[in-house]
Amino acid sequence: MGEPSRRGFLKGLGAAALAAGGAGTLSACGGSSSTGGAVTGGTGEPSGSITVWSWKNPAAELRALIPAFNAVHPKVKVTVQDIGNPAIWDKITIGMEAGGQGLGDLLHIGVDYLPNYIEKFPNGLADLSKLGAGQYSNAFAPGLWQTVSRGEKVYALPWEANAGSFFYRDDLFRKAGVDPATLATWDDVIAAGKKVKDATGTALVAIDKSASAADSANLFQLLMQLQGVFYFNTDGKITLNSPEAVRALTLVKELNDAGLVVDVQGSPGTSTYDAAVKAGKVAVCPDPAWYGGYMETFATDSSGDWRVMLPPAVTAGGSRSAIVNSTHLAVAGTSQNQRAAFAFAEFALTRPESQVQIFKDKGIFPALLKAYDDPVFHQPDPFFGGQKYAEVFIAELSNPSTPTNYTADYPRALKLIDDAQTKVLLQGADPAAVLKDAAGQLAQQTHRAQA
Amino acid sequence: MTARTTRAGSRLAPYLFVLPALVLFAAFRLYPIGWSFVLSLFHTEGMEQSWTGLGNYQRLVHDPLFWKALGNTLEILVIQVPVMLAIALGLAVALNSALLRWKPLFRLGFFLPVVTGLVTYGLLMGALLNPDSGAVNWLLHVLGLPEVHWLTDPFWAKVSVMLALTWHYTGYNAVIYLARLQGIPDEHYEAAAVDGAGAWRRFWHITLPGLRPALLLTVVLSTIGTLQLFDEPFIMTGGGPDNATTTIGVYLYQTGFRYFDFGYASAIGYAMVLIISVFGLIQTRLAKEED
Repeated sequence: MGEPSRRGFLKGLGAAALAAGGAGTLSACGGSSSTGGAVTGGTGEPSGSITVWSWKNPAAELRALIPAFNAVHPKVKVTVQDIGNPAIWDKITIGMEAGGQGLGDLLHIGVDYLPNYIEKFPNGLADLSKLGAGQYSNAFAPGLWQTVSRGEKVYALPWEANAGSFFYRDDLFRKAGVDPATLATWDDVIAAGKKVKDATGTALVAIDKSASAADSANLFQLLMQLQGVFYFNTDGKITLNSPEAVRALTLVKELNDAGLVVDVQGSPGTSTYDAAVKAGKVAVCPDPAWYGGYMETFATDSSGDWRVMLPPAVTAGGSRSAIVNSTHLAVAGTSQNQRAAFAFAEFALTRPESQVQIFKDKGIFPALLKAYDDPVFHQPDPFFGGQKYAEVFIAELSNPSTPTNYTADYPRALKLIDDAQTKVLLQGADPAAVLKDAAGQLAQQTHRAQA
Repeated sequence: MTARTTRAGSRLAPYLFVLPALVLFAAFRLYPIGWSFVLSLFHTEGMEQSWTGLGNYQRLVHDPLFWKALGNTLEILVIQVPVMLAIALGLAVALNSALLRWKPLFRLGFFLPVVTGLVTYGLLMGALLNPDSGAVNWLLHVLGLPEVHWLTDPFWAKVSVMLALTWHYTGYNAVIYLARLQGIPDEHYEAAAVDGAGAWRRFWHITLPGLRPALLLTVVLSTIGTLQLFDEPFIMTGGGPDNATTTIGVYLYQTGFRYFDFGYASAIGYAMVLIISVFGLIQTRLAKEED
């Protein structure tokens, strides 16, 4: 998902942030305007110009939808901008802090940022329930509506739903004489990983040990979610040092101690991680569903060698389903054309044809349940050796998975977890000790209680 | 028009000329500086503000990460700046030497990194220091030395940042010294040579004293620059691993733009201003006392 396109932007930002005493430079101009109340953009047929902010592949897909959209809504002029990920988060944040100045009309927002924007900028995003979003409350994979709404208010429409997955190299497993179907728990995975390493010399997974990317603890997070816990519980209390968390980080440590981890600087979607996958340095990618479609575009040499299955459980008989992340389209509270912006979001996200098209092109996995009826989700895929790989995720997404409460303090929690994991992987620290430490620091920084 | 009004008008003229600059300065400098001080007295997260007085500053004192960031920054200041200035001084003297040919070429070579864009710079350093495919590790391998995890080991990450800074700014300082060197009259050297002073004594007694103002300037500028350090650690390591390269600037950015805690970020900014002012004062005092 990420791409290192933020640098040009940061050149300016860095200078501004570092001007003496300039901590508030960028926030100085705003904070008071409020347009969250009324719907803008007139009544009747939507019209006007809207700007859509997204990144790379999703941006290209939204752009491709414009002609079809204009056939229905000829009076709306849509411009899609590829802001880049992660640059888009800084840009949205600054726009929000400036009272909504300069924001695009329609914003593509990841689940790791959405709660933060909703809770900290109450009027930053338009309430879509006023535009009729309520009718879609059951249209998406279970759990996602809770992510985008607060009570009656709806802040975004779900787009991607990324189930946690277990992409594996069937050829390497076979060479090592391991049948992946027998991997029921992560203990089994570690045992199998040792066999694969002995037989093929290939490590199991790639992890950004020094946490140069913010989402370096993906595997740890998946292992927590498989146990039904997250960094916060549903009451917003800190669960970073729960027994489940300790178990998850201990598994990561065991993988590392067994020599099954390749150190890469970056997470799925960055050039270093992808290069390790392409070069056949890992046998497993325990990554979000979107990575499957993405792999097809670059790991062409290993086409046919990959398969996917549900991630093994952490404890025997435990859950094998988790929605590890999702992305959404939200309308800016300051947009002058909220009706037109919502109309485009509605066209892209609630219309099965649009989502089917997007999945066909780039493998971006939709949250829209109706889309799954299309044959494209039930076709054998040559990259996955003829496996109907999308069906694995449909089954997973149709299960109710535990709702995850990201809260506005997710970025802090993520940073502390990154550092804790780095201490474990680079210095051999004790998982329980570093998690206790991280939970304590998070409580101190956020004034949240520990569960 | 009387002579009196003409004089008043002409007295006003300079103010009118500087007015646009003053307005811009007030709008884009003074106002943000003042506003961020106000912000530092509030607990601000997103659009919610609550008065906390000196609460943010108290929090700063008890924040282990702030002390870690300050420690990292000072470590770079104490180690990297003297090394860089010594290299710059050596370069400047060499470039100024009558024996050296193709001087413009060398000057260009050393000054190029200064004008290199941040993007190119980040990519270049990343490529050079990449543990698997980087040129630096390749070189170590050729020399039979063990490979180094430049950006992923806490110790070497710090070294990498210092190397990058040195590469980037040595030329800048060398050019300042060079300009000053050319202002030292040749007669001084000739007189010293006649008196039988060797190269080392000429450097010690003529070159160094002549360079004093330039030395002070570069020391102060480098100190301020290092205390505000952001670009290099942010691009190369993101402040990691495990905060080994988190500088005050990086911590300020994370607090403001990752955690949306602008009040606390403003307090960090003001702490930074305070520290820079103290350093600046000490350095100018020291320089004066020696006069």
